[in-house]
Amino acid sequence: MTSEPVLRPSAEQQYAGELAALAAVDDRPRPPSWRLSPQAVVRYVLGGTLSDGTEIVPKYVGDRRIVEVAVATLATDRALLLVGVPGTAKSWLSEHLAAAISGDSTLIVQGTAGTSEESVRYGWNYARLIAEGPSEAALVPGPVLRAMRTGAVARVEELTRMPAEVQDSLITVLSEKALPVPELNLHVQAVPGFTVIGTANDRDRGVNQMSSALARRFNTVVLPPPASEDDEVEIVSTRAAQLGRALELPAAPPALDEVRRVVRVFRELRNGSTVDGRTQLKKPSGSLSTAEAISVVTSGMSLAAHFGDGNIGADELAAGLLGAVVKDRVSDTAAWQEYLEAVVKERPEWRDLYRACHDLDTSGYA
Amino acid sequence: MPALPERVSLLGIRHHGPGSARMVLAALETLRPELVLVEGPPEADGLVEHVGELVPPVALLMHDEAEPSTAAFWPFARFSPEWQAMCWAHHNGVPLRFADLPAAATLGAEDEPDPVSVDPLGVLAEAAGFDDPERWWEDVVEHSGAGDPLALATAVTEAMTALREEFEDHVGPRTLRREAQMRQVIRQGLKEVTGPIAVVCGAWHAPALRELPTVSADNALLRGLPRKKVSGTWVPWSHGRLAAAGGYGAGIAAPGWYAHLWERAEAGDAVPRWFARACQVLRAEDLPASTASAVEAVRLADALAALRGRPSPGLAEVSEAALAVLCGGEDTPLRLVHQQLVIGEELGEVGAGVPRSPLAADLERLQRRLRLPASATERQLRLDLRKDTDRERSKLLRRLRVLDVQWGEPDSTRGLGTFAEAWRVRWDPSMAVAVAAAARHGTTVAAATELVLHQRAGSVEKVAKAADVLWYAVGCELPAAVTAARRALDRCAAAATDAVELLSALPSLAGTVRYGSVRGTDPELLRLALHGLLARGAVGLPLACRGVDDETAEHLVTALDAAQEAAGLAADEEHKSLWRNALLKLVGLDEAHGLPAGRATRLLWEAGDLDTDRVAARLHRAVSTAGGATMFVTGFLRGSAALLAADPRLFDLIDGWLTGLSAEAFADAVPLLRKAVSDFSAAERRTLGERVATGGGGISAGDGAWDEPRAQRLSAHVRGLLEGAGR
Repeated sequence: MTSEPVLRPSAEQQYAGELAALAAVDDRPRPPSWRLSPQAVVRYVLGGTLSDGTEIVPKYVGDRRIVEVAVATLATDRALLLVGVPGTAKSWLSEHLAAAISGDSTLIVQGTAGTSEESVRYGWNYARLIAEGPSEAALVPGPVLRAMRTGAVARVEELTRMPAEVQDSLITVLSEKALPVPELNLHVQAVPGFTVIGTANDRDRGVNQMSSALARRFNTVVLPPPASEDDEVEIVSTRAAQLGRALELPAAPPALDEVRRVVRVFRELRNGSTVDGRTQLKKPSGSLSTAEAISVVTSGMSLAAHFGDGNIGADELAAGLLGAVVKDRVSDTAAWQEYLEAVVKERPEWRDLYRACHDLDTSGYA
Repeated sequence: MPALPERVSLLGIRHHGPGSARMVLAALETLRPELVLVEGPPEADGLVEHVGELVPPVALLMHDEAEPSTAAFWPFARFSPEWQAMCWAHHNGVPLRFADLPAAATLGAEDEPDPVSVDPLGVLAEAAGFDDPERWWEDVVEHSGAGDPLALATAVTEAMTALREEFEDHVGPRTLRREAQMRQVIRQGLKEVTGPIAVVCGAWHAPALRELPTVSADNALLRGLPRKKVSGTWVPWSHGRLAAAGGYGAGIAAPGWYAHLWERAEAGDAVPRWFARACQVLRAEDLPASTASAVEAVRLADALAALRGRPSPGLAEVSEAALAVLCGGEDTPLRLVHQQLVIGEELGEVGAGVPRSPLAADLERLQRRLRLPASATERQLRLDLRKDTDRERSKLLRRLRVLDVQWGEPDSTRGLGTFAEAWRVRWDPSMAVAVAAAARHGTTVAAATELVLHQRAGSVEKVAKAADVLWYAVGCELPAAVTAARRALDRCAAAATDAVELLSALPSLAGTVRYGSVRGTDPELLRLALHGLLARGAVGLPLACRGVDDETAEHLVTALDAAQEAAGLAADEEHKSLWRNALLKLVGLDEAHGLPAGRATRLLWEAGDLDTDRVAARLHRAVSTAGGATMFVTGFLRGSAALLAADPRLFDLIDGWLTGLSAEAFADAVPLLRKAVSDFSAAERRTLGERVATGGGGISAGDGAWDEPRAQRLSAHVRGLLEGAGR
């Protein structure tokens, strides 16, 4: 099957080879409807080398226990809730889990303030409804209903952004594993393998907090920010290289030193103190997540490819850094300038970065 | 080197490992030895017979008879292999002996530890990719051991031999000496019995016992060990203490979990019961934890174990499942489960037949009589001293504090008045050391306390210290000690030349006088002591304020305030007037330091002994003499911002004095005043500023017109309240 190139292939398209190789060597028992055994799913997420020599790329860098708890939860047909601050790879992990387990990560509900019950469960083809009256043919199944019928994993992104009553429509689905369609006097029962992965943002808790009735039906796994600087550097450099390939950027993969610098800037500002703990810093208002660090590096790569010599350096990173840190013009600019003067300037090997950022400051924001 | 005879079986264990405990128990059943040797101090051999009277966790407490506070503990939990070996020997009537260096050689000796302490089974487990050594032991050793405990023990010894070779340079001289002693005990045992012998020792030592070198070689190693007279007993221990890594702790990460495993191993319901208990813990704290959630947690723990290829869920799996299902991913409730279940607060028991010091026996008797059991969980206690039991309890807690057994902590955060006391009570098993150390002072709590107070009274040199001893003696209700402390107080007061020292002792003494009547000491005797101190201090005060530096002046002000309060609280009229005269003299003394002089002026003015005109005159005089003036004003106004803002008399006094100043005098006074009010907080200064801006007024004391019926009603009500409180 050949298809048009797409901007961002889904996980099961991008890693089709890995999934096939894993399935081929996988001899452990698989839960009903699962494409892989739980052990193979863990290996797909964490990476490794298969017995036939296939290299599996690590998708999630972090505590193995977290992934194991997540996979074990899904294997017991419980719903899984991934919680964390923005940019801790919640959606990323949810996509890869769905891809590995059901081979389909596209049964997705994006939670927003405007998400309605129809987009979670089912809607109607109104032309047909009016012409023929209520019938199964006029029913437009939502992602959850489709997942129930095929025994697949449905994903609900940003669960706590949805209005409370829409969230609660999931309760029956999760506890009864069934969805009534009263208009057709129909009772859709889920095929084994059906489950839900929800993601929720720590900072959104106050927006539409989950009812305890719903929360009880999820096993909760908290995804922490990367534990160490080395972990974060690895995440940023591999992801930036992958994205660069996907975007067909001609630039060379970023030098590890540059990535390390970006990660250090992010970590120091996020923690409010320098790595050596000697200098106290103002914390900017943004979340400064790993995801944003990745985007700083990729935009730097793109700048280097199209306007520079193809090698990423301080000049390419400066603009991206400034944009990532300064979300609030007044307070964040102060935090950033303080950081420049107190930390960046003091590090001799960071002189180029200081100059690049300083030039930018005078012309742009300050 | 001759090998160990066949009839000696080495059971290498992991200390406090339930898996090892099961192995030891099974091995002893198979071997039916005639003698059991267990790693431990040989001085404790005589204590083994009491095993039947103990409820673990318990610990062997061994202490130096000459210096009882030099002590060490050997703790045992129910799941400790050593404990199981002791129980087996006890039930089967088989002699058991301890094999290790004598406590005499290890107590207080700063023996060089091994270069690196190695948890041998931990190292093997880590090499196999396990995070918890117990897990590894269970998964690998027990499940593949196929039921033959002796083959298992042999396998462990072999593994350890390999490990010992690898870590050879980690074995220090101390370990070598210990092993030499173990071999000596084995040789002794071989002479005594002809049947099989079982040796229960740390797996790390097992390889060193496989061969018996010559006796003389071992003797050479053991030569020159220190000798001491050591005595010991059994004391209750707690899970919390087992978990603590430092001090007397055993450093077991999860004693509660191990105990649970040991208890439920037979029934086979360890995991479901664990989650049921976790739900109860959470529910007790009003956190949601339904039975349905417990079911899901069990399923998740099982799935996790299966995913990790383990035969059954371990602590890691149950903790992760509890976090994901019961705690909603949050750490705080999980910590609760950890504290109460994974560690646990279980406290052991020691039966009445176990020998103990007369003091410890007396303490237990008192605990029973006063229904004040030693408990490892903290308890709030409110004692009404008018009730006999409560007064006895307070007496006991106070006496123990004198003996340095800090069982109760007076809770001073809540003032409860003369007749009530609040205490926080928590028994820490390591307090057994303090009890043992106190045993040399006497055979009962009362006698030991009396002796300690006597000694302290005999050695004090400062008045304040003597007053403290008196305060303790009165609180402990020991008349002889009270007399001794009073004598010490007299002695110190006579020798004291410093008024500050004399006056600073007054508050503690005033408190003692106030509470003395509740404590069964004649308050008049104490009042006599107080009067003596007050009189001496009053005489010395004016002179003490002459020619002193600012730091001493600060101390003087503190002493002045304290003495004033004490005099008001506990002195009779005669001595009050004595004190008043001393203050008046101080005020009149021009060479006195400004700080105490200002303070004294203020105190006298407040008491009405100095009228407003004279105070104003004194203020004027202070400003005219540039030197100590700032100090005088500071001393006068210190700590009275609120009073200054609220009391029109004081306000008017300062106001009148300020406005009456001539232009030059005012210019001189401004910097002084500014300095004086700089002690006030910003909020106080603001209030004061507002008060000045509104121009006087404020709360007035009334115009003297009297509403008779209204006053009658009010006074009747107040009288009712007071009578109610007195009942």
